[in-house]
Amino acid sequence: MIAAFEYFAPKTVREALSLLAKYKEEAKMIAGGQSILVVMKQRLLTPEYLIDIKGITDLDYIKYDEGKGLRIGALTIHRAIEKSPVIQKHFGVLSEMEGNLATIQTRNWGTIGGNICHGDPAGDPASVLIALKAKLKLASSAGERIVEAEEFSKDYLEVALEPNEMLTEIQVPTPPAHTGTAYEKLMVMKGDMGIIGAAVSITLDSKGGCGDARIALSNAASVPLRAKKAEKVLIGKTINNGLLTKAGEVASTEATPPADVHGSIEYRREMAKVFVKRAAQLALERAKAA
Amino acid sequence: MKGEMKELKLTVNGKPYELEVKAETLLVDLLRQELKLTGAKVGCLDSACGACTVNIDGKAVRSCSVLALQANGREVTTIEGVADGDKLHPIQQAMIDHGAIECGFCTPGMVMSAKALLDENPNPTREEVKEAIQGNLCADEGYVKYIESIEIAAREMRGGQ
Amino acid sequence: MDETFGNYSILGKAIPRVDARAKVTGQAKYAADIEVANMLWGQIKRSPYAHARILNIDTSKAEALPGVKAVTIGKDFGGFKWGWSGPTRDEEPLAVEKVRYQYEGVAAVAAVDEDTAQEACDLIEVEYEPLPGVFDPFEAMAEGAPLVHEDRPGNICVEYHWNFGDVDKAFAESYLVREDTFQTPRMAKGYLEPPAVIAYWPDPERIVYIGAKGSPYFPYRILAKCFDLPLSNVRIITPIIGSDFGGTKNDMTPADFSAVMLAKKTGRPVKFVTSQFDALTTDLRRHPMWITVKTGVSKDGLLKATSLKAVADGGAYTRMSPLTMFLVGTCQTLPYKLPNFKYDAYNYFTNNPSSAAMRGHGLYHSRFAADVQLDMIAEELGIDPVEIRLRNSIENPKPGKVYNTVNDVHVATCGVQECIEKVAEAVNWKARKGQKKVEGDKAYGMGFAAATYNSGTKLSAHNACAAIVRICEDGSVNYLTGATDVGQGSDTIMSAIVAEVLGIRLEDIDLKRVDSAFTPVDPGSYGSRVTVHAGEAATKAAEDAKSQLLEVAVQQFGVKPGDVDIKDKKVFVKSSPERNMAWERLVRIACYETPGKVIIGRGYSTQGISMYGLADFSKGVGDIGTNYSFTAQASEVEVDVETGVVKCTDKNVIAHDCGFPLNTQAVETQVQGGSYHQGISAAVYEELKMDSGQTLNPNLVDYKRPRAYEAPMTQVIHVITNDPYGPFGAKEASEGSTCSAPPSIVSAIHDATGVWIKNLPAQPEKVFWALKKKREKGQK
Repeated sequence: MIAAFEYFAPKTVREALSLLAKYKEEAKMIAGGQSILVVMKQRLLTPEYLIDIKGITDLDYIKYDEGKGLRIGALTIHRAIEKSPVIQKHFGVLSEMEGNLATIQTRNWGTIGGNICHGDPAGDPASVLIALKAKLKLASSAGERIVEAEEFSKDYLEVALEPNEMLTEIQVPTPPAHTGTAYEKLMVMKGDMGIIGAAVSITLDSKGGCGDARIALSNAASVPLRAKKAEKVLIGKTINNGLLTKAGEVASTEATPPADVHGSIEYRREMAKVFVKRAAQLALERAKAA
Repeated sequence: MKGEMKELKLTVNGKPYELEVKAETLLVDLLRQELKLTGAKVGCLDSACGACTVNIDGKAVRSCSVLALQANGREVTTIEGVADGDKLHPIQQAMIDHGAIECGFCTPGMVMSAKALLDENPNPTREEVKEAIQGNLCADEGYVKYIESIEIAAREMRGGQ
Repeated sequence: MDETFGNYSILGKAIPRVDARAKVTGQAKYAADIEVANMLWGQIKRSPYAHARILNIDTSKAEALPGVKAVTIGKDFGGFKWGWSGPTRDEEPLAVEKVRYQYEGVAAVAAVDEDTAQEACDLIEVEYEPLPGVFDPFEAMAEGAPLVHEDRPGNICVEYHWNFGDVDKAFAESYLVREDTFQTPRMAKGYLEPPAVIAYWPDPERIVYIGAKGSPYFPYRILAKCFDLPLSNVRIITPIIGSDFGGTKNDMTPADFSAVMLAKKTGRPVKFVTSQFDALTTDLRRHPMWITVKTGVSKDGLLKATSLKAVADGGAYTRMSPLTMFLVGTCQTLPYKLPNFKYDAYNYFTNNPSSAAMRGHGLYHSRFAADVQLDMIAEELGIDPVEIRLRNSIENPKPGKVYNTVNDVHVATCGVQECIEKVAEAVNWKARKGQKKVEGDKAYGMGFAAATYNSGTKLSAHNACAAIVRICEDGSVNYLTGATDVGQGSDTIMSAIVAEVLGIRLEDIDLKRVDSAFTPVDPGSYGSRVTVHAGEAATKAAEDAKSQLLEVAVQQFGVKPGDVDIKDKKVFVKSSPERNMAWERLVRIACYETPGKVIIGRGYSTQGISMYGLADFSKGVGDIGTNYSFTAQASEVEVDVETGVVKCTDKNVIAHDCGFPLNTQAVETQVQGGSYHQGISAAVYEELKMDSGQTLNPNLVDYKRPRAYEAPMTQVIHVITNDPYGPFGAKEASEGSTCSAPPSIVSAIHDATGVWIKNLPAQPEKVFWALKKKREKGQK
């Protein structure tokens, strides 16, 4: 079924990076394999070299302190993020998002890093991380660099990784006081890829107005889309129902959603309105309570 | 080298194995074709149906979406390893007694998902039971009796409360 | 739960399935699990075109590939054509002159492993001349449309025109006449186990075929004809089967023929394991249909006439479309009284994969349309949906009496009124009015439906069904049956019937699954016929064996014939039960006392045919069933009015009249399953989407099958009517729920939102636009 490849199972990041440096474009990385194995089974992907990094236990961690914020190793499985008491307490939106990501079997083996690097704009983590202003640490044998989560996706299934680079860590800053974040996606069945999804983060200022807002959409474009115009509808204003509706409508105009068997372009645009509003409403409630 | 046999050491149903496999071998094919444990089934190509579900280190995983080599050093439990000799596991007994099993193709996967749930969470809510088997497609029995059987087994395993 | 009905030792209770232990421990062997020594792996070469002439096939490169042992193409089969019945033989094992649907098989390979077989298929070079195609009935029926079969003008596969009473006069006399058109989608059968087969020739004159077939006697006859062998030389063995739902596992696939041919060519066993992709792109599927119903009613909502028109997409070959279109029409005169009925059916050939039977065959389409329309009528007249059904329902005939429909369907028992009443009571239907229906962006509604399904289907030339009960000398019992358990639990029921009749325990019966070398013939698991027909055969075979034993008992006890019986494994004198002996003792005496007996009981079913004869498809007259089940259902849904997503709540109740529930547990599971997987799923989730012959969602992510989280915890109520024509009063169980669920869901959506979704499935986008349209209309 799967075409033959030469297989490596590095135990450290350094080993993995030197393999990448050697084989570059001819090599593919496999973490949990929940995305890549489906396409390899269909022979849509037939790499010469497969670098299996699942065994790099150094990249499986969840660390938190109020100063540095949250740091998640790229090879942390979805289920660990879902169940982490620290994440549930301080970054609840991540746990909620993971709880609706595929099914338990997938979450028990697939990693957040693998998910993000697959670069599917319908994926859930990317838009939530954009809303949380996360940063990604990329490593190569030449060194490390940090990129903003929102700069990571370049195109459908294409991310900003050089052929000799790998993702090692996801960094989520501690949100400012009075910040609430929510993620809502349109599912027919629990665990579905969202027909569309919206991650919204709202920070209230000392007067109760909107000091900052982040809106990121999943499955609304060829990349996870940050709806900057929609954000501007909220920032600096006192948020009311009408404003939330407007933010949704503006976000909808920024989207360039795909058409497929699950929904047409028009339907997805309509749903962008609904889900931005729903996520924003919940984010606002949480910001008020924070 | 492509096509070269790689060493694989793992435990399956409590039994240690030292094998040589091709790197592209999926865990489900290792189990079914090499080890002749045909309880895990292949129902799809899309990591969607869950008929291949096994437990790796006690967690429910789709064996069709795991390279056999990734199970190196791990404990794999398949449906064949759930009963204790002739004595069925409470989940298995409940499914039989409650009439949950029809064609049976999804049953091994269902049992493995249920077992992983109850081993970790002995007192699940109905919602948690449903979530545990959300990744296991059935085409026959409407899930109702599976859900009820798992709840019955959970009660049994808790000593009847 | 765990109710008991009747006064039996085994029947009428929750009977755990005889094969459950093997399945739950992973020991049960399905076709793909079976290995035979020296086995080769097969793969089919499939056409990328939906309609094309085959100009040339060059298999030389494939044959030269190391590891390839044989290749076969359509011409190897010598012009053999097959079909479901005599007049419908239009299909070849592998396409010869042209292909008529995408991925139709044109060649096959046997090689040492799966990868080599696939590689070899890729090396087979086929030259095609693509042809224009037709992809729905409307394209197919158009003037000058390309022909799928050159000898079938107008692409018409099946056409019926039936006329009973005088519908025009009745419409003229009606208080209200409505005409509505409904649409049912293309649906995959949905079995989780993709078909698999192993075939070999133990000698040049004999075939052994091991495959997942719900009707093994189809391949038995078809392979015998194809390979020109006597039936006795064709051995069909069924392993455990992972569901069928009346589809491809009933019927032949290219892999079935190719496995046998390649086994012949190589002298080795050949195994084909197909994939879910093959299943979703080529296996038989439910017909997409366009159903127009015109109904006239009196002021009180009593049905006066219905004119039904059905247009169906039959796909590339005939298969069993003649039966499908008959079924769409035949039970329109049930479960309500209908004095005037007209039916026009058109089934077209298209360049899509063939449509065929699927659980709820035929009736699902028309009962959906009719029952939703009845709710529309109820709304117009201001009559409650339950009330209008009660007014129209056929009353349960008194014992000895039979209700005749205008098209000569004979109903001896009809529990639909009781079903409706029990469901209405269970959901407190009367209290619904005035209950809050909206919570934020969620609207709630409940729908009601009633349905019927034919049971104990009988067709020309396909009905003979037999059983053999062998009492072994130590008292253990072999039961040989042609009945095939595809997961519905027939093995358990047949064993239970035999045990009940003999007076022993279920565990004492060892059922031998179908092996045509040893088991007697039976048509198969379709048309809800197994319990009724095979159950009758089982009863008779057990009674025959029992009577042979009782003859010996009578001599042993020195009593009059008839004064002995067997219960709980004890043989006793009825007039003085303290005189008894153990079952095993009687059997030993019978078998060993010189010269000894061989106790073999045999029976075959006659009930269906002997009563009323066969149905006439072209006139629409007569019984397709031996008896008829009845169902009522209430379903509550939650509609997200902003997104259009429809979810079932747990308020979901079904009352099912299956005559007598032989295995209460199995009936419940079957009813819950039929309702969710083939009923609710049709209403809300599933559609195989195609474009110009190509399937757009051939995987289980994009083709949504229903899952556990969304499953309603459906409550099942048993309604007993004790049918005189079924074994122990039984009728079919659960196909009715595939017909009651869809209309109950559509009516529930209407109750929640005011919109009627007439073309299924009610997927979110469709519901969204319908709601938007309604809002805009309301604002004008």
